[in-house]
Amino acid sequence: MSNKPETEEAFVAGNPELPVDPVIEAYKKDVDRALLRSNLKLTPEQRLMNLQNFLNAIEELRRAVKAARS
Amino acid sequence: MIDIPALIRLLKAYDVEFIVIGGVAAAAHGTARATFDLDVVYRRTPENIERLASSLQTHSPSLRNAPPGLPFRFDSETIRRGLNFTLDTDFGPLDVLGEVTGGGKYEDLLPFTIPLAAFGVSCLCLNLERLIAVKRAAGRPKDFEAIAELEALLAEKKARH
Repeated sequence: MSNKPETEEAFVAGNPELPVDPVIEAYKKDVDRALLRSNLKLTPEQRLMNLQNFLNAIEELRRAVKAARS
Repeated sequence: MIDIPALIRLLKAYDVEFIVIGGVAAAAHGTARATFDLDVVYRRTPENIERLASSLQTHSPSLRNAPPGLPFRFDSETIRRGLNFTLDTDFGPLDVLGEVTGGGKYEDLLPFTIPLAAFGVSCLCLNLERLIAVKRAAGRPKDFEAIAELEALLAEKKARH
């Protein structure tokens, strides 16, 4: 993975050219871009509420599984 | 379980100076990745350390995954002597960081923040470019997938403008 300080500085300073990292590039193939586009239509608060609702649902499922086992 | 609105409102209620980073910042920018804690970088001034300690005083802060019975008190003295704390609180896991690898301290990150209006308050959130830079600099294999998504998100945002 490339993380040379000078590259990071250039990036942060406004040069958007990211050094290509073959490992990260490989992962990009599996990114659900339709989901990202859908998220971009929301406000940041709506995105965070979606995350919170998801976490709430996970917690509810965990409780249900625990209750079913006991 | 984490209650993101409650944690952010709590820190704001005590005027804690902090920057949201990590998974919650990524979610605010638009990633579709779940995170189970809130990571914030706090300003290490004596006044802000006092505010941070006060904010969590009545919310049972404890060191996450610490052995049971390990004595721990999250007060200003503890914060001054330490730097980064991974806490459990009544509102869920909260990582309060004095410094992050590849990002530095609060003052170093401040120029790379954007206002985040949510849950009736406004706080600072690390911008997407810097978030990627910090995650890249950390170099953790577990972040590779998240970095790929953040970079794809950045490309999507650029394509829209």
